[in-house]
Amino acid sequence: MRRRRAAAADDAAVIESSWREPERFAVLFDRHAPHIYRYLARRAGRQVADDLVAETFLAAFAKRDRYDLRHADARPWLYGIATNLVGQHRRDEARQYRISQAAVAEPEAAGHAERVAADVTARAMRPLLDAALAALPAGDRDVLLLIAWEQLTYQEVSRALAIPVGTVRSRLHRARTKTRQVLAGTDAAATYEEITTNE
Amino acid sequence: MNDMELLRELAQETPLPAPAELDPARARLAAAIAADPAAGRFTAVPEVTMHQPYPSGGQPVESLRPPAPAPVLSAVKLMYGGVVGTVMQLIIALAFIGDIKAYHLAVLGHHLTTAQLSHLRPLIITLVIVVGLVVIALWLSMARAVGQGRNWARILSTVLFGLATLELIGNHGVAQVLWAMLTWLTGLAAVWQLWRPASSAFFRRCRQAALTRRP
Repeated sequence: MRRRRAAAADDAAVIESSWREPERFAVLFDRHAPHIYRYLARRAGRQVADDLVAETFLAAFAKRDRYDLRHADARPWLYGIATNLVGQHRRDEARQYRISQAAVAEPEAAGHAERVAADVTARAMRPLLDAALAALPAGDRDVLLLIAWEQLTYQEVSRALAIPVGTVRSRLHRARTKTRQVLAGTDAAATYEEITTNE
Repeated sequence: MNDMELLRELAQETPLPAPAELDPARARLAAAIAADPAAGRFTAVPEVTMHQPYPSGGQPVESLRPPAPAPVLSAVKLMYGGVVGTVMQLIIALAFIGDIKAYHLAVLGHHLTTAQLSHLRPLIITLVIVVGLVVIALWLSMARAVGQGRNWARILSTVLFGLATLELIGNHGVAQVLWAMLTWLTGLAAVWQLWRPASSAFFRRCRQAALTRRP
């Protein structure tokens, strides 16, 4: 993540040079497309992500002249575009959560005990988590996932979604409260507690 | 394990795509880049600018100046539009000025006596021509300076736009109000383009480039 942030530090220079040399914009694609793709795949599924990652960079290329060069790191801008595009594919996102809910994966047989415990818990809780995510209001879900999955800061999410930092905080708080309520007192949580206590 | 850790744990299940998986998206972006009017133009730039070497640094002056982004180019075009509008305004004024009474009624909306008009006629004609030419010169010089990334020109353009807004209030004749509104809207659009983030960054970089050029 740190290496990625360092690479992103001169995104603004790349975008600025692309005003005159559009070919330079390809640097931004090579730098960020894999992570944007993964974010889109998590949210809307791989099939849709193929299309949405292209749409994200086409939209970014089309409005690159409006990019605020005071922001050296273009990731929040790209995640903002990607999140807006996910918003236009809400049905695909809902279907993705339903697919995840239905899929029951087997935990790894070998590995460090704590890691296995974490895997067991995560996989056991996955259907609940997907249900909780699906039930969240779209704005709250966008904030939660950009922070949890993409590890953006509050300021970066604020830039990505064009909302004040205070709104980011309140949406995150609301989303986490709802998610915790769904997860609290489940068998999966008890399983994790049991494994870690017996160690 | 809290909810955030749980989310991160699950997110790790989705690997980054293999490079080949991004090929279709890369191809679509490459097509969009190739279709961009600016694509492939960059290689010709040094040849264009080499005729104007910087006296002490030996580097082309133009190559040190960052390229003007689309909003600045739009502002320059709008300013040239302002020139066209002012020229039209001047032509209309001169067409009416032969009949000074009709000019005052139709263009300015004033009601002056024949004696007053015949006395003021040379002054009015001179004023109309001089003011028209000054306004045209201002539009042209602002367009040129703004295109070259001069920040003072951006500020002066905004001030002139403010003055044009005040002048708008003083118009009375129908023709004058219509033309003044049209010119004012052109100015508004140009000023808006000049203060967009991409434009601000361009002016900032031009200032930095100018500072680095100083011996």
